[in-house]
Amino acid sequence: MIVHQLLSGAGPRDAITAEARAFRGRFAAWGWGGDDLAARIAPGLDGLFRSPAQLRVRDDDVLLIHHSAGLPGLDEILSAPGRKLLLHHNVTPAHWLWDHAPVVAAHCALGREQLPVLVRACDLAVGDSAFNAAELSALGAERTEVLPLLVDLAPLGPAGDPRVACAPAPHVLFVGRLSPHKRQDRVIEAFALYRDVRAPGARLTLVGEPLTDAYADSLRARAERLAPGAVRICSGLSPAQLGDVYRSADVFLCLSEHEGFCVPLLEAMTLGVPVIARAAGAVPEVAGKAAVIVAEEDPALISELLHLVVTDATLRETLIGRGRVRAAAFAPDPVAARLREVVLATVNGGG
Amino acid sequence: MSTPEDALDRAREALRAQRAAGRYPDPPAPDPPPSPADARRKLLEWAFIEPGAEVLRSTRRYGAPITAFKRLLYRALAQHLDVVVANQARFNLALLADLERIEARIEALEDERDP
Repeated sequence: MIVHQLLSGAGPRDAITAEARAFRGRFAAWGWGGDDLAARIAPGLDGLFRSPAQLRVRDDDVLLIHHSAGLPGLDEILSAPGRKLLLHHNVTPAHWLWDHAPVVAAHCALGREQLPVLVRACDLAVGDSAFNAAELSALGAERTEVLPLLVDLAPLGPAGDPRVACAPAPHVLFVGRLSPHKRQDRVIEAFALYRDVRAPGARLTLVGEPLTDAYADSLRARAERLAPGAVRICSGLSPAQLGDVYRSADVFLCLSEHEGFCVPLLEAMTLGVPVIARAAGAVPEVAGKAAVIVAEEDPALISELLHLVVTDATLRETLIGRGRVRAAAFAPDPVAARLREVVLATVNGGG
Repeated sequence: MSTPEDALDRAREALRAQRAAGRYPDPPAPDPPPSPADARRKLLEWAFIEPGAEVLRSTRRYGAPITAFKRLLYRALAQHLDVVVANQARFNLALLADLERIEARIEALEDERDP
């Protein structure tokens, strides 16, 4: 069996790129071949991914399209022979990005426009969450499947002892691209209130690759204005360093407004960090009952939730325990078995 | 002590007490949508292209000599690049001016239709 993978972009700290590489490892273990291609390839990954112009598909092959942004030359790609499997990771709504990174926004707008075309052309449409699969159904996909993101969290290291009792200077953490739709601005705002009213020594760490340097600078300026000296913003961490940051955190706070899956939720749960998250996109589905899910935007309410999760040992213990169970539900081996089923279903005609 | 299911209610209750004691400000108003003036200002900012050699760098481990070479090449080609950049900026600004005229015309037509 030959399974090619096509991504709109491949980057060094990108969850979809990591998944494509994990898929390739599984395919190789099953004796399956194929190439990995990406429309935009970050420096350093050019040995692992090739240009879509080099795509050669035969009738019996499967082309797995990871969809997260616009794919140039899509008509040509779809006219190639072989079975097509669409894996929808969701596309960031472009309106969040036009003011900050118009080229990225244009890629996202194109990705949205291309989604109905992909749904019509592919033999099987799969979402990595039920939220994403529902978008495919709404666009007319007759049959959809859910294939959770295949993530290997082992490089983050072990969980360590559960931090049921917090230090006097609680450590709040959010991990995710420094981008407007992830709402780090709101995290800073809520944290600043929490620090003013409940925990004067509290610290906040934001980890993520910046959408642009200017956007990261604007977050730094906001942090310095609202909570001087208490916010650390870091990028380019290795998995081991990221694991250390999780292990030092008392609470994970996600106020993102758009998430197709949200891997950091699983990372936090795996490493024993209690989670507070905004009910957006696939977040409630991925978190299950293992997080405090909040729909309101009031930063003072988030501040009180932080205080509660930091100070109530029973609540922390429950969240940590449920988090570990929830994260185990996304263990790589069952997801890989599901991947195999989905690919074989595509070979058999999808419907 | 609380469970994840009742944590939100407990936080709301605590917030009411804290607000009554004047420890929190009132909830903030929602962010205003971007205005057409904001959008025009952004377009105007982007219409001027100001590339600089500082964005040129190598991501390889020992990439300092490559970075230096790229920047040297950039300076050597500056005369040619400046002409390209000036032409592109002129085109962007002309397009922006046209856009302004079209917007003004649309506004005038809308005013005529719905005085």
